[in-house]
Amino acid sequence: MFTQFEHFAATSLMGSPEESPPRQDGHLHFDRDWEKMAFGVAIALSKQGHFEWEAFRQTLIETINEWETTHSLDDPEWDYYHCWLTALEKVAVESGVIAAGELEAQMTQLLDCKSEPCS
Amino acid sequence: MPSNYPGFKYGADRETYSAAKVKALESLLIEKGIITGKTVDQILGYFDTEMGPFNGAKLVAKAWVDLEFKQRLLADCNAACQELDFPAGMSGAEGEHMRIVENTPEVHNVIVCTLCSCYPWPTLGLPPYWFKDPTFRARVVREPRVVLKEFGVTLDDSVEVRVWDSSAQIRWWVLPMRPAGTEGLSEAQLADLLTPEAMMGVATVQV
Repeated sequence: MFTQFEHFAATSLMGSPEESPPRQDGHLHFDRDWEKMAFGVAIALSKQGHFEWEAFRQTLIETINEWETTHSLDDPEWDYYHCWLTALEKVAVESGVIAAGELEAQMTQLLDCKSEPCS
Repeated sequence: MPSNYPGFKYGADRETYSAAKVKALESLLIEKGIITGKTVDQILGYFDTEMGPFNGAKLVAKAWVDLEFKQRLLADCNAACQELDFPAGMSGAEGEHMRIVENTPEVHNVIVCTLCSCYPWPTLGLPPYWFKDPTFRARVVREPRVVLKEFGVTLDDSVEVRVWDSSAQIRWWVLPMRPAGTEGLSEAQLADLLTPEAMMGVATVQV
């Protein structure tokens, strides 16, 4: 019985070095702040029932496979959390949490605010 | 070299792009009232503070300095866990039925889960990917000495190797031997020496 969704979610990804989140000494390991946020948001959305964890997992696997079929396996561009983010965006749109295009619009707004103060 | 993958359309700038995208996603979800600014921290906090190999390390270090505690830990791991100030739910979430076995100069223990990847999360954290690898699972049962050697643990022929197969009923982990030369160390310093691999029996504790 899984009493903690967070642990269930993380360990269901432990199948292979590719699908499994990077760890260090048994801890989740994040190199950049945005990775943490992408990780946490995916778990939060699934925990709240916006999509099944399995749906996210399968999308992540597909995203990784897609990357692997279009790159050589030793391509230094490989990055686990970029795939994670791509999968998260796909699942968030497919489940209707956000509308297609909504994220781009929000990004544009955020990036514009960086160059000049916005109200 | 810029990526050709359509998801990474910003090529060389993908770091900035990804960071901006996650920030945009978070702010959209906050605006929609789906998450709050604290949600992500709360989720990550769970992994940082509730469950991890630091719990197992604390238990082993205490067992090394307190022989009576060690006996209780070996006799009933979950009851012994409750003696320490662990967060609520420490023995839940896949840790309901933990058992610990002690390494001695005569016996070296190693854990595996031949069926899947049963693992004592509360004391060891998240399992490494090779723990679930079919090759590791099959080989460690068939030729444990050879596998251990590949992990860097060379055992004398006189040492008996015992392989413990974790299951939904019992999740095994290992009480490693306290290394020589650690007599003056505090419990906290001893805990720092422990690694998940040592508590899985695929490494020894190094000073």
